[in-house]
Amino acid sequence: MKLYNVKLLTITCEILAQKNIIEILKNHEITGYTSYEVEGNGARGLRGQGLQTEKNVKVEVIMREEKLSDVIEEISQTLFADFAIVLYVSDVGVLRTEKF
Amino acid sequence: MDILQLIQSNLLTPIILFFLFGIIAARIKSDLKIPEAISEFLPIYLLAAIGLHGGIEMRNTGFENMLIPMLVAIGLSLLFTLNHYQILRRLGKFNIFDSYALASTYGAVGAVTFSVGLSFLKNQGVSSEGYLAAILAVLEPVAFIMAIFLTNVAVSKQIRAKKQSFTNDDTSDIEMGIQGTKTKLSQVLHESITGKAIVILLGSIVIGYIIGESGFDSISIVFDEMFTGAIVIFMIEMGIIAGQRLDDIKKVGIFLTAFAIIMPTFNGIIGVLVATAMGLSLGGAVMFGLLLASASFIAAPAVLRHAIPQANPSLYITSALGITFPYNIIVLLPIMFAISTLVHSEGSIDLFNYIIKGLI
Repeated sequence: MKLYNVKLLTITCEILAQKNIIEILKNHEITGYTSYEVEGNGARGLRGQGLQTEKNVKVEVIMREEKLSDVIEEISQTLFADFAIVLYVSDVGVLRTEKF
Repeated sequence: MDILQLIQSNLLTPIILFFLFGIIAARIKSDLKIPEAISEFLPIYLLAAIGLHGGIEMRNTGFENMLIPMLVAIGLSLLFTLNHYQILRRLGKFNIFDSYALASTYGAVGAVTFSVGLSFLKNQGVSSEGYLAAILAVLEPVAFIMAIFLTNVAVSKQIRAKKQSFTNDDTSDIEMGIQGTKTKLSQVLHESITGKAIVILLGSIVIGYIIGESGFDSISIVFDEMFTGAIVIFMIEMGIIAGQRLDDIKKVGIFLTAFAIIMPTFNGIIGVLVATAMGLSLGGAVMFGLLLASASFIAAPAVLRHAIPQANPSLYITSALGITFPYNIIVLLPIMFAISTLVHSEGSIDLFNYIIKGLI
């Protein structure tokens, strides 16, 4: 079966930044994403413990390469300074490219 | 001395002991933890119980006498928030964002502190006015909304000043900024009013009002008799979270530590005296003072992280939860109770005299 190349954008961030990210995705007409709660350690210390609002989430979004740079530019400009965020991009293959 | 004795006996109540126990458990790095679903459920339960009681009380007493205390509470809360800001900005040299975030955290109310206060009064055999639950609901968003509004005004002023220094006549950016500010503010307003704390509180007040004393009988075993027990379980969780943050207190600094103790004391005592002057009962004055003394640590991060993301959350969470909350429930509550007893035991109200007495 043929696999089509698309990009997987993975964002690990504090739970309160999730809404902002989804908002940005929506602005770029991306509605599909997957998110789950995670724990870990990083520049802002152990995360995922304590109060409900201090949890971390991981948001995964598959998108075409054309949209990618605009999306990550907006995320980095608006959120990097104020929120705990790690963002990376990987190449993935999908079967039904029309879904993304 | 009377106050010391009260503090001492308060220290040995299950609520405080379990809170201290939670701190110890966190310090010895125990894996003790309240399951997440329960620690999420308990605030909802506590607010429902507070709301039901408030609603039933309001059915008995009516709405009329609630209006003035509510307006006074809103006025004081706004005044205190401005006062906090001036102190933090001028004396504490905090940046504008941290100043507003901290000012509103301390201007807002703490629902958990409120629950502990109710059970403290129950322990002392004193009741309080039910409509205070409604004031709790109304007061919750007030301080945030003002701080966020003022932050936005300050930021757009800065942008304007910068633009003018370049003598650039293109003002579209500024207008966009102001537009953004407006939507941000209405969003915050919407979010804080539809937030779970206010929704469950107001919903329970309405239901309590409808069912009245007779309808409450069938559920009182859950919402009355279990109330203090539920707080105790929640206090373990609060203790653990506070204990985990104990190291952060060093980062908070001496100024903010002092602020986190002095401001609630000042606000609380003013609250007790004002409430007494308005004719609230002994217990009601304590709860009114506690409303003004308490700082928000559950609602604050959720609201402020979006509205003032530039502010450092560990400052306002640590100072509110790690310093002010324990101080309020262990030390300030008995102090306010003693002051309220004092001002209620004598006939006339001589505010100045009482403040002097209160400080001694």
